Amino acid sequence: MINEYLLLSATLFTIGFIGFLIRRDLIVMLMCLEIMFNAVNISFAAFSYYGGNFIGQVFVLFSIALAASEAAVGLAIVLALVRATGVNHSDEIIRLRG
Amino acid sequence: MNQTAVDQAFFIYFYLSLSILSIAVIVSKNIIHSAFFLLIFLLHVAAVFLFLNSEFLMVIQIIVYVGGVLALFVFAIMVMNIKEELKHRRFVRFAGAGILVSLLFFAVFYGFVKNVKVSSNPPPPNDVNLLGSLLYSYYLLPFEILSVVLLIALVAGIIIARKSPREEK
Repeated sequence: MINEYLLLSATLFTIGFIGFLIRRDLIVMLMCLEIMFNAVNISFAAFSYYGGNFIGQVFVLFSIALAASEAAVGLAIVLALVRATGVNHSDEIIRLRG
Repeated sequence: MNQTAVDQAFFIYFYLSLSILSIAVIVSKNIIHSAFFLLIFLLHVAAVFLFLNSEFLMVIQIIVYVGGVLALFVFAIMVMNIKEELKHRRFVRFAGAGILVSLLFFAVFYGFVKNVKVSSNPPPPNDVNLLGSLLYSYYLLPFEILSVVLLIALVAGIIIARKSPREEK
């Protein structure tokens, strides 16, 4: 049964990875990051359940808190970028000093 | 007696719906639609946590992701006021190469995942008290470091997203 949960985790991680690579909008790229975080959390919880160990749930808590802070900082960076240059697509960011 | 069959059916449902929802996040034209698909996706992940016998994680997932992160996304979309999303190009030029690389990645990943074996311990007790005491005794230092990280992320988010003084005058 753990193989199926790990396969689910791998599938979701790959879909998030595809989205992160091929989408142009910066906000959707951040959403794909959240999908990848969730895939890894499912894998942690599955190991915690089938391995009979409680530690995985603790690490999922840490990972969720880190994902929240990552989303806050990432969205702030995107907002500052849009304010400074008016660009919200990843392949149009061609200047480093604005 | 049909417990495993019901489990299998629900697992297949969650597998298909999670895959379809995450693909829908990627391919939908409107960003707000992506945010709503992400909302349903996160609720389904919470249900998967419930299947894995960890109720506290389900509650935290709903509170933090749906209540915090997704609200942050919707706020950012509203603040940036994106209007031209309906007829713009969604994917980068080398999207095919990206999909190819990702599928290769998935093949390698599947090779790792295919025959994982864990030692067959009994599943851990479904006990929030144990989780709390573990967080405050053995994992106290990472917990405190995490609180500092959250504080720094909060302050950094405010400072980065602030209007620059050059722009104000």
